[in-house]
Amino acid sequence: MALLSRHPWFAASILLAPLLTLAAPGWPRLAGVGPCWAILWLLPWALSEGRRSGVLAGAIVGLLLDSLHQGGVSEMPALMLLGWWWGRIGRLGSPVERSFSLGLLALLGTLVLDLTLALQWAVRSGLGGVSHLSSGAIDPALLAQPGWHLDDLAGAGLHGLLARALLTALLAPVLCSLQLLLWRQQGGGLGRR
Amino acid sequence: MPAPRWLRSLALPSLLQAWPWLLVALALLGVRLSKGAGLADAYALLSRPFWPGTAQAEWLRSARRFEDTARIGALEAENVRLRGLIGLQQASPQRLTAPVIAREPAGWWQTLMLGRGSLQGVAEGQAVLAPGGLIGLVSGVTPSTSRVTLLTDPASRVGVWVGRTRHHGLLTGLGTPRPVVRFLEKDPGVVPGDVVTTSPASTLVPPDLPVGVIQSVDASADPAPEAVVQLAAPVGSVDWVQLLAR
Repeated sequence: MALLSRHPWFAASILLAPLLTLAAPGWPRLAGVGPCWAILWLLPWALSEGRRSGVLAGAIVGLLLDSLHQGGVSEMPALMLLGWWWGRIGRLGSPVERSFSLGLLALLGTLVLDLTLALQWAVRSGLGGVSHLSSGAIDPALLAQPGWHLDDLAGAGLHGLLARALLTALLAPVLCSLQLLLWRQQGGGLGRR
Repeated sequence: MPAPRWLRSLALPSLLQAWPWLLVALALLGVRLSKGAGLADAYALLSRPFWPGTAQAEWLRSARRFEDTARIGALEAENVRLRGLIGLQQASPQRLTAPVIAREPAGWWQTLMLGRGSLQGVAEGQAVLAPGGLIGLVSGVTPSTSRVTLLTDPASRVGVWVGRTRHHGLLTGLGTPRPVVRFLEKDPGVVPGDVVTTSPASTLVPPDLPVGVIQSVDASADPAPEAVVQLAAPVGSVDWVQLLAR
């Protein structure tokens, strides 16, 4: 947490993730889907700052993003897990700097994040379906629980998941390497800590 | 044997002298048999420079628009009166214009954020209109912003009907750009091209708002027939919307 102790106001950059999610700039889009800005911010931060800071940052950015969205699914668990994992990777072996490594980590991170969301939707869909089907002889089409269902997840959900993961992985080498450089310079050198 | 007297009077010289009149007679016969077609076409050709120009066409269109506007006003007033008589929700509530300040038209959440909130009178459940028709409902409100769940969001459920066949259905978002209508009848009788509007008996949204056009019908869907709907409003590119008071 060298960066946090030296420049605590750098933590305000965490606001970039929800703000960019809200702004949703039009140029970085693949099949209408934008990148996962939370991953693009969390990856360099956790790699540079370590496990504890990564988990904390994952929890905060998860809370911020959850507050923007309706529905009972949360991005926080996956982001905390990714913050811990990437913080651990940042402390093991040589520093992660290669474009391919950053892209691969971002790709895996986005897949993990979106798969946890899909899993939560699937669980909610299953629970909702059971409760409504047992409620009587009313047309099930009317009683369909709003939200992503298994059919939707296998169609549009998978399509959006892949598009978001690919786009995030494509942007990661550019955006994450710049942030890594900045965080490591400000946090006390480029070497392994 | 000499020719008869009447035949001598029709001798060739006299015929030659009368040929212009014969031509005129033939032309008149042609006009008569063609029911004046040549005459009318000739008149059209000659009078073409004096035909009514685009200015007059514009006057006619303007008059037509005026007539349509007046008729719509009268019909709306009558509609309000009749709906009041039978106790249904009013079709023409107050409208509030709001800018779109953030959008997420694809992915897990398909929402818009508007720059008007509870301070301006926005409330949850209000219908949101864009040029073309309904695009969603307000699902969350802060003092200065409001969040709109688009009709394409999987969390969206709106009662609609097809005016031509008078069949009700449930417009359901799938996370794709085109939602589906799940009909309540086994044989809704709809075909591609039918216009989908909000249900006249709806209590959640104002009635008779245009929603979209049916693109394809899947009559074998289980448990109810489905139809894919192309929304009438350009959801992805709209910058200003209108909120309907409930």
